Amino acid sequence: MGRIVGIDLGTTNSLVAYVDAQTGEPKCIPGPSGSTLCPSIVSLDPDGSIIVGEPARRRLLTQPERSIYSVKRLMGRGPSDVQSELKLFPFRIDPASKNVIRVQLGDRVFTPPEISAFILRELKNWAESHFGEAVDRAVITVPAYFNDAQRQATKDAGKLAGLEVLRLVNEPTAAALAYGLHEKQRGKVAVYDLGGGTFDISVLKLISTGEGDIYQVLSTNGDTHLGGDDIDNLLQAFVHEQILQHDQIDFSPHGELAQELRKALIDIKHQLSEATTATLRFPLPNGNVFVREFTRGALEALIRPVVDRTMVPVKLALADAHLKPSELDEVVLVGGTTRTPLIRRTVQEFFDRKPHTELNPDEVVALGAAVQANILDKGVKNMLLLDVTPLSLGIETYGGAVAKVIPRNSTIPASAQELYTTGVDNQTGIDIHVLQGERELAKDCRSLARFALRVPPAPAGLPRIEVKFLIDANGILQVAAKDVRTGTQQTIEVQPSYGLNDTDIERMLEESIEYAEQDFAERQLIEARTEAETILKATAKALANPQAVQLPVAERYTLDASVAALQEAVKGNDYKMIRRQIDELNRATEHLAELLMNTAVQTALEGKKLAEV
Amino acid sequence: MATPLHITNPPLVCWNCHERTIGTHFCPGCGKLLQLPQGSDYFAMFELPRKLWIEMGALEKKFLQLSWKLHPDNFVGATEQEREISLQRSSELNDAYRTLRDPIARVEYLLAIEGTRKNGENKQQAPPELLEEVFELNESLDELREAKAEGSDTALLRHKLEEAEKNFEEKLAQVDAELQLAAREWDQVIDSAGDETARRKAMSKLNELLNRRSYIRNLVVNVQKELL
Repeated sequence: MGRIVGIDLGTTNSLVAYVDAQTGEPKCIPGPSGSTLCPSIVSLDPDGSIIVGEPARRRLLTQPERSIYSVKRLMGRGPSDVQSELKLFPFRIDPASKNVIRVQLGDRVFTPPEISAFILRELKNWAESHFGEAVDRAVITVPAYFNDAQRQATKDAGKLAGLEVLRLVNEPTAAALAYGLHEKQRGKVAVYDLGGGTFDISVLKLISTGEGDIYQVLSTNGDTHLGGDDIDNLLQAFVHEQILQHDQIDFSPHGELAQELRKALIDIKHQLSEATTATLRFPLPNGNVFVREFTRGALEALIRPVVDRTMVPVKLALADAHLKPSELDEVVLVGGTTRTPLIRRTVQEFFDRKPHTELNPDEVVALGAAVQANILDKGVKNMLLLDVTPLSLGIETYGGAVAKVIPRNSTIPASAQELYTTGVDNQTGIDIHVLQGERELAKDCRSLARFALRVPPAPAGLPRIEVKFLIDANGILQVAAKDVRTGTQQTIEVQPSYGLNDTDIERMLEESIEYAEQDFAERQLIEARTEAETILKATAKALANPQAVQLPVAERYTLDASVAALQEAVKGNDYKMIRRQIDELNRATEHLAELLMNTAVQTALEGKKLAEV
Repeated sequence: MATPLHITNPPLVCWNCHERTIGTHFCPGCGKLLQLPQGSDYFAMFELPRKLWIEMGALEKKFLQLSWKLHPDNFVGATEQEREISLQRSSELNDAYRTLRDPIARVEYLLAIEGTRKNGENKQQAPPELLEEVFELNESLDELREAKAEGSDTALLRHKLEEAEKNFEEKLAQVDAELQLAAREWDQVIDSAGDETARRKAMSKLNELLNRRSYIRNLVVNVQKELL
């Protein structure tokens, strides 16, 4: 079994983290650029390969039709859900999309879970390079307010990336875990998590018991389409309008220029978190440069509606937890967008308490995911998360009304049993429609799934079919049905309303092999063989040097044996064996390398490997 | 006859090692997590008598203790069957805690397992003594809807409905107080090992109060919706 990691699959950035075995501390893993942030951007190269992260960012500008960002907004959603997003985001949705959105990148179409899988695979590679070992399991975080379909889509993405998803953890809960560990916090804690595209508020109770710490979520609320993106959209629309007035330039919101402007404005937004003024200089196609000075005050006036929108879920979550703002012991800010001074001020005023910002708001969720991953991996736990389901689960009844069977903020796993019977003689099926949401009518709630119960022919009202609805620890629904009279279980074919079915997943798994790089061990083998060849060549060259005769016979004998052993190892498929023999040969050639140096350089190069000389 | 304190099923057999077990979470023989015995109920799960007064601090403590043992986190590396049992057991634990923590849900559940009330049953008949007031309220609600549709002045009607809402809220508080009394009566019947007649009487009182409460509660919610 390979290593396990914690992954924050974010709207704007994604991160991967693990718990260091020596220190017991969670750490984020940097990518090739040295940064721990992997921009959640995916681009399809014309040669068919997939580019992820920072290198894909440039392609957003140069090849916008082959690139996509903020794909998290599309997870678990249907085409009709995202019409409003299409005005603001350069998503190109395949018109043939049915219950699952298909996004066009160049001449190919991908579902959101497939695109997310590319990001997960990239992070998996970062971690594998870091460990020098395969990674095959993960804990992935999701917004607490994600519904069943959005969670299932995230789990599917993990599977497509070759990861066994051991648990989906809610982002604010993960953050609380990282903070609890770091600050030894106790009592009632509110976590305000405003990321790139999602907003969550969770209220937790941190309890110390004899066995360990329990993080019990009391309530959660949020908005899965509210975040830093919305601030950027406001800024972009505002400046668009100004450019239109001054320079009569109306550019398509999806084109290259719009992407350039968006990038420049995000930079202004970031500057205004530190400074009180910032100046935008934006070159226009007509040769003019659009110059405008922004003050923090003006930005705050513009974005106040977004900040105010976050306070509605905050109040609802507190009401569900039966708490007043003053009854909270701690408030924690999570997510890059909470660097905005207006947000910090607003939260501080509401709770009348200085919020915690000690941990890096970009990294804290991934760190918490790593802690949970470590607990699940080791099986020895010193803490336990008790999370809740964010939305009520309901069943459609007569007249399109919804009967709630599991109320929101129920601790998960949670379940409910319902008994069904027939209305007419010899009726052979009962249709069940499962929904999520707080509204009273089915049409106002989120449709999760439909399925039909099979009923043996009998007079009306006689059959008794018990259906068990169970929300598991990931917040994902499972359904089971039993004929009460005969005790026979029936397997239910649940047709997800907005998700991939098993056949879709199987097909995508097959297709993903095309994009998957070689298997980890294979990649390691290739790297080890290349390195072995280099050192074998260098050794042969060194031995051909006249100075080599100075080497004592015993050392020469060891050296020859090491060369033979490495040559033998290279013929095999065990990369670890090759690595061992490389190390062996490196040691055996140390003296030879010294001999070959002239005395002056010799001291400087002491301990160097032959291949490096 | 007093309500039994603990699971009364005959000793069960461990699904894994076939050791005889009773009332435990883990098999004394092989240490595996056990399925919940048939016929066990939420009160038994917390080792509580079927009484309506529950000490909340002790309930929470027990909930956390059991969560620690039964949660699926403990069984990630276990067999599929054990993972399944853990999922069932921890969901039942959470369902039980959610129900017992809430005084109204607790009464509904007790009546359901005692066979007095069907799960989720809510009689929507107006209690006779409220008929007149309910009739008046519905009339005012109709008038408000009409006035809203016509766009005419609703201030007076709103005021009238607000008064009515307050009146029904008071009635709700009254029912809650009566429910508490009835719950205490039930507990006394249990404590004194009261006979079947005494049990029936206490239960039908609780049942009637629950119906009344649910009816008034609905009225209040409906009025609040129209006043929004």
